Amino acid sequence: MMLRSSRATSTLEAGSPPGDDVLPGASRPSSSRPRTRRAKAGATAHGAEGVGTIERRRIPLRSRLRRDWPLLLLVLPALLQLAFFFYLPSAFSVIAFMDYSPYRPFWENPIIGFTYFQMLFQDPYFVSALINTLQFAGAQLLFVFPFSIMLALVVHGIMSTVLRSTFQSIVYLPYFFSWVLVVTIFLQVLGQDGLLSRWLVGIGAERLQIMNDPDTFMLLAWMQWTWKDAGWGMIIFLAALAAINPSLYEAAAADGANRWQRLWHITLPGIRPVIVLLLILQLGGILTVGFEQYQLQRQAVGWGTAEVLDTFVYYRTILASNGESIGTAAGLFKGVIGLLLILAANNVAHRLGEQGVYQRS
Amino acid sequence: MTAQIQLFGAKKRARVRPVWDEEPSIPTKILKGLFLAVYAGAILVPIWAVVATSLASEEALARAGGDLVLLPSDISLQAYREILSGGAVTASLLFTMLLTAIGTAVSLVLTVGAAYGLSRPGTLWHSKILTAVLITLLFAPGMYPSYLVVQKLGLLNNMWALILPVCFSAWNLIVLRTFFMTSIPGDLIDAAKIDGAGEFKILFSIVLPMSKAILAVIGLFYAVGYWNTYFLGVLYTPGMDVKPIQVLIQQWLLASSGPTGQDAAAAAAISSGMKNAPAASLKMAAVVCTIIPIIIMYPFIQRHFTKAVITGAVKG
Repeated sequence: MMLRSSRATSTLEAGSPPGDDVLPGASRPSSSRPRTRRAKAGATAHGAEGVGTIERRRIPLRSRLRRDWPLLLLVLPALLQLAFFFYLPSAFSVIAFMDYSPYRPFWENPIIGFTYFQMLFQDPYFVSALINTLQFAGAQLLFVFPFSIMLALVVHGIMSTVLRSTFQSIVYLPYFFSWVLVVTIFLQVLGQDGLLSRWLVGIGAERLQIMNDPDTFMLLAWMQWTWKDAGWGMIIFLAALAAINPSLYEAAAADGANRWQRLWHITLPGIRPVIVLLLILQLGGILTVGFEQYQLQRQAVGWGTAEVLDTFVYYRTILASNGESIGTAAGLFKGVIGLLLILAANNVAHRLGEQGVYQRS
Repeated sequence: MTAQIQLFGAKKRARVRPVWDEEPSIPTKILKGLFLAVYAGAILVPIWAVVATSLASEEALARAGGDLVLLPSDISLQAYREILSGGAVTASLLFTMLLTAIGTAVSLVLTVGAAYGLSRPGTLWHSKILTAVLITLLFAPGMYPSYLVVQKLGLLNNMWALILPVCFSAWNLIVLRTFFMTSIPGDLIDAAKIDGAGEFKILFSIVLPMSKAILAVIGLFYAVGYWNTYFLGVLYTPGMDVKPIQVLIQQWLLASSGPTGQDAAAAAAISSGMKNAPAASLKMAAVVCTIIPIIIMYPFIQRHFTKAVITGAVKG
C-alpha cells in the first residue's frame, strides 16, 4: 500500500512544473551540468549530482572511508534487508530452471532449462489464471482509472471548501482499509443475507447473488476497486489539477474558449504527465493485480473466475507439493514481463516527450 | 510531494470562482451534487451499518429481523465487552498492535538511515548503492523464492516473518531522501560540521527535528500497512496460535460461510465462550475494532500533510 502512495508522491514530483517554489531545483533539467556518473535507474536522482565529483575521485579510498563511514553505516541495515529479501530471493529464482525438490540440498538439484516454462503454457490452470489476470488489469485500466479522473474533475469544481474537504476525506478513507475489511463489508451489504438482499426480499424480489456469481464477478471486482481505490486516484489527480497555472484558463477564457474547450486544451494536457506516469506504473504491474482480493473471494466464485497469477502460485507451490519449480517459473515469468513492460512503456513515454518514471540516462 | 502538499494546504484557503469562469447551469449542478452524494453514501452507509450492528442489542437485532441493521432500536456494548474480555479476538488485537508498533519502528529506522546515508551525492559508493536500491522498484522476486528465504532463515510462524520481508520500501526512501536533499538547508549541515558535529549528531539534532511532519506521514503509512497484514500472515505464519487481526476476521467472517468443515471449526473456535451477545454483533464489533485504529490515524495523516506544507513553504 505504501508502495502506491509513494508512487503517487514521486509522480507529483515528475508532474510539477520546473522551478516550482516549494522544492527549488527539484525538477530542473540537469543538462547544463557536466555529465558525471549518474545513477542509471535513478527514479528521482535529480539535483546535486556531484559537482566536484572529479576532485573527490582523487581522494584515496581510505580517507573517503574515514570520512563517509557513518553514512555507509546508516545505509547498511536497509542494504541487508534488500540483500536478504530482494536479492537473495531473486537469485533463488533459478529454481525455475531446476528440477527442484526441497528435500535435496540446494546444489544437488539438476538444472533442466526451460522445461517448466513449457509445462506452464500447457497448463490450463496457468493459462486461465493468466487470462483472468490480464482481464482484471485491463478492466482496472479502462474503468477505474478514468473514473478517478472524472471524480477529480467534478470535485475540483466544488467551490465550497468545507464540502470539498469533507468529500475528499470520505472517499479517500477506504483506501486505508484492508481487502479483508472491504470484502467483509461488501458481503454484509451485497451478500445473499446482506442488507440489500433483505430489503429485496421484503419488497418481494429475489436475493442478490452477486457475491457468489462467477458471471458477474468482474462487475463486483469493479465496484470493489472503485469503492476502495478511486478516492486515492482522485487525490493524485486533484493534486495534478491544483498544479495547473490558473492564468492559462484565464487567457483561454479571454480568447473565448468555453468550458469543454478549456477542459480539452488546458486541463487534460496539464495532467497528462501524471496520467502517463500512472499508466506506465499500471502497465508494469499488469500481471500483479494483487493477491488478497482474489484469494478472499476465490471460494465464493470459484477458481475459474477469480484465479490470478499470484493465487495460482500460492495454491500451486505453498499449499500443494511438488509445485516449487513450476510456481517459481510462473513468478519469474511475471517478474520479467513486468520489468520489460515498465522499460518499454517508459521508453515510449520518452519518445512521446513525457518524463516517464525515471530520467533518460 | 510538492503538489500533494500544496493540495492539502490549499484546502484551508477559501476559493472564489474566478470572473472568467461561468457559473454551471442548475441541472449540471444538481447532477453533480447527486453523483457526489450517491458516491459518498455508497462509502458511508455500509460502514455505518457495520457500526450500528455492532452496537445493536439482541432484541434490536431480532426486531430488525436480520444480521445487519441501520438504526438499532436500542444500544448495547455487550458485544465489545465479550470480544475484548480475553479470548482469541483480544489476543489477536494485542498481537497486531505489537506487530504494528515494532514494525513501524523498524521501518522508520531503516528508511531514515538509508535516506540520510544516500542524501549526499559524491560520498563513497553513493551511486552504486542508490542503483542497487532503485533496481528493486523494477522487478519483484517470486512468491516461492521469498518463501524459501523466510523458511531457511527459520522465520516461519514467527512475528518477524511479518516484518522483515516488508520493512523497507524504496518508494519511501525516495520520498524522504528528496525531502532531506531539498528541504534541509545544506548550509545548516555545513555549519554544524564546522562546529565539529559528526553525522549522527547532525542527523539527530538537526535533520530529524526538522522532518517530524514527513516522518509522521511515512510512519503512518507503514503503520497502516502492518495493521492490514493479511497476505503475509496467510503465507508465512499459518501455524501461529495468535493470528494477525485481518487473518482472524477472514477465518471468522469470510471462510466460515464456505463449505469446508475445517474452516467452520476454526471460526467456531474463535467465538467459543462468547455466549452473551448475538453472533452478528460480535462479528461486526470485531470489524469495528479493526477500523477504529485507521479512523484514529486518518486525521493525523491529513493534518501532518498540512504541517508538511508549512515546513516545506518556509524552508523552500
